[in-house]
Formats: sequence, structure tokens, C-alpha cells
Amino acid sequence: MSRAMRRAVPLYAVAILCGCTKEARELGPATPQTPPIGNEDPRIPTYQDNFYQVSQGGRYFAWYGCSGCHAEGKDAVLNLADSEWRHGFGFANVYGAIAARHGRLAYGKRIPVEQMWQITAYARDLSSHYPEKRRRVALDQQAEPVGGTWHGPQ
Amino acid sequence: MRRGAALAAFLPLAACGGIQSPLSPVGDQAVALHSLLMLSIMICGIVYALVIGGLGWSLRRRRAEPPPDTDARALDHSLWIAAGVILAGLIALTVGSFIADRALFAARGRDALAVRVTGHQYWWRIEYRDPASGRWIETANELHLPQGRTARVALGSADVIHSFWVPNVAGKIDMVPGRRNLVDLTPRRLGWFRGQCSEYCGAQHAHMALDVKVDPPAVFDAWLTAQAQPAAAARDAVAAHGAAVFAGACAACHAVRGSGAGGRAGPDLTHFASRHSIAAGTLSMTRGNLQGWIAQPQAIKPGTMMPAVALAPADADAVARYLVTLR
Repeated sequence: MSRAMRRAVPLYAVAILCGCTKEARELGPATPQTPPIGNEDPRIPTYQDNFYQVSQGGRYFAWYGCSGCHAEGKDAVLNLADSEWRHGFGFANVYGAIAARHGRLAYGKRIPVEQMWQITAYARDLSSHYPEKRRRVALDQQAEPVGGTWHGPQ
Repeated sequence: MRRGAALAAFLPLAACGGIQSPLSPVGDQAVALHSLLMLSIMICGIVYALVIGGLGWSLRRRRAEPPPDTDARALDHSLWIAAGVILAGLIALTVGSFIADRALFAARGRDALAVRVTGHQYWWRIEYRDPASGRWIETANELHLPQGRTARVALGSADVIHSFWVPNVAGKIDMVPGRRNLVDLTPRRLGWFRGQCSEYCGAQHAHMALDVKVDPPAVFDAWLTAQAQPAAAARDAVAAHGAAVFAGACAACHAVRGSGAGGRAGPDLTHFASRHSIAAGTLSMTRGNLQGWIAQPQAIKPGTMMPAVALAPADADAVARYLVTLR
């Protein structure tokens, strides 16, 4: 190992600590209790920039059956990872599309508000990853307890 | 003051019994482990007493000067005796451990009841195989066992590592994602016992308890037959309204067999009101507690996967009234 590399090791070690806040989570009565107010709502970074909230959104994405229609390789609106957003990419736009543009599924009424925030963060996060990572996430989601045929991990 | 200190010294002994203690074994496996524990304490206690006694003795006689040749011979003898005692203690512990292992894996399981327990953050999914039909009957957070019969429990996890431990009945076994571990439970005494997740699994690890009930075999069979039945239909208008609200707001995650609600993410609620507690031992089973839990689960068990569902007060009340009829 060269001298420069040896010097860099402690710096890398310290740099890793910067990631410690990326999964920070607040416990307590669920917040928020209302949909986002515009795309600049100050609550958005709490969800969009937090790995825990995004990954929870992924779990609910599976629990509510979203992955039954939305998947990699599907066309148009069914492909959430193609960076094309018919109704806008803003947080409130995507939230509104999930809540109000699914007809009889009425997610806006059926899914609690905080979970809607998490699912929105997950959907917006998808296009920022490589296909390999999205595929790995999709495989993980197949193990989520969903539907009558799920019989546990055993 | 001195009397008080003596009394206080006995207080920890109160923890030696009760419904969640390995020192009060009620199952064959717990008895084997308890015997091994007692053997270890006895041998280690003897060794400890000998070491402390020897230390005290040497401190008392340090001034005396015995003849040098006698001292060397005595030292030689003492070393042989000490080595013999240590060896005997180690052999006894090894044999004791071997016997306990054999007892834990004894072939009691020929007629074993097949049970699956899956750990979730922060609750237990429990499934029994119906011996008649071969299908699995699902419940949650309350494990019923027949007295005197072995239940072979297959343990797994759906998310992170948990650990299954009902100390009065058997030893602790981890529940690891992607892996199936087996534990046999052969309870001998009737009653309620308490298990607890014993591998830190997240914010609500402490509120991941398991109620365990040991029943006479006939009572257990009747209980299992009742659990296999679908839920009873709502009996009055309020409960019927609650069932309708439940179907819209709760059914994505919870199942009530016979009602159309088939979610698997949360606990099966088909016979919810027949259970001892709510939210894995967090609250006792009362309608008031249930209403509080439905209204604001994150205030009662912060970090639970159960969200606060925005229901109108009358709807939330109807759901609670519906759920308490599911016996």
C-alpha cells in the first residue's frame, strides 16, 4: 500500500460516518398526517433523502400489490424506472398520481398518509439506480408476505 | 439497616420462578438445560470455594516457616490433588453437557405436532398443520401446546434475525432469514407462560412477546378445531359496519378467514379476540386497548409496521366492536 493510500484510509473511514444520518428515523405518532403541499413541501427531504423511508416504501409497494403491474421492462406508465413521468416528477405530482389516478383502487383513501409518502419516495427513487440494483430490490420484494400463496420464508 | 440489607439480598431470588424463567422448568427440554445449569453451578461453586478457601488459608499461614523439604513434598501433593479436582470437574461438565444434548435431541418427535413460527418485526406468525387435512392453520402471537406431547417447531424469519425463547419450556434458538431451525417443545405442566424475542431486532424488540398456553390434549384439540374455522359473521349492525370498514381499510395487511380479507403482511385476525393480548404482548385484550391501538399504534408501539389509519371515530369504534366478536 502506498503512502498516499495509507494516509487516505483514515479519511475514508471518517467519510463513511457521513452516511450514518441517511437512515436516521424518528419514532412516535406517525408524521406527516397530510399529503404534500406542493413540490417544495419542507417535509419532503425527510422522506426522499432517507434510505429507511425509501426502503419502507419498497416494502409497501409489494404489500399493496403495486409490483403486480409496475415492473422493469413494462411500457409507459407501468415502468417507473424509465425517468419519464407523464404527470410530473415533483413529489406532490407523483403522490397525487398514486393517490388519485388508480381508479377503483383508490389508494388515496386506502393507504395511510405516511405510507403514501414512503411509497412516493420509493417510486421517485427507482430511476436513480442501475438496473442490477433494481432487480435485486425486486427479488427482495418477492420474499415479502403477500397474498394467499405466501407461506413464509421456510 | 443490616436486617434490611439481608432482606434485600434475598429479593433477587424472587426472579427464580414465574412464567418466564429457566429456573422454573415445565418442559422436558427446559428440565435438561436446568439440570445442566445446576451441575455447572455446583461444580463451579465447589471450585470457587476451594480457590477462595486456599487463598484465605495461605494468607493466614504466610508468617509460619515450615521445614523446606516437607513444604516441597506437600506442594507436590497439593498440585496433584488440584489437577485431579480440575480434571474431575471438567469431565463431569463434559458428561453433563453430553447428556443434556442427548435429552434435547431425543426422538420424542415421532408423533410430533408440526408447528411453524415465523418472526416478523415485531410479532410472531404461528401456523399449525391440521393433522386431518394437512393444511396450515394460521394464528399469531399466542402459542398453544398440548400437555405431554412434543411439538416440533420450525423457526424462520421474514425480515431480520429474531430469537425464539420460552424459558420455562425450552432453550433459546435463533430465527435466521433464509434458514430453518428446529426446536422440540414437550411441556408437562398446564398454564400460561411467556416467551420473548431474545435477539435485538429493532426499535420494538422489547415489545415482541409470545404468550404460551399449555392445555390438556383434549382442550388443545378443541382449540385447534376452533382455530381452523372461519370467522363468525357480524352479529349486529355496528359490527357489520365495522366489517365493511375493515374490508376497505385493513384487509390489505390482515386476513380474516371467511370474510374476504386476505392480507398476509400483518397478523391473521380470524380469531383475534380469543387471544390473551394485543400487539405481541404489548396490551391486554380489552376493547378500550384495542380502540387505542387502532387509533394510534405509533404512540403505543413506536416503530411498529402498523400505520395510523385515518378512520372517522365512529368507523374506528365499529372496527373495534367487530374485532372483539372474532372469538
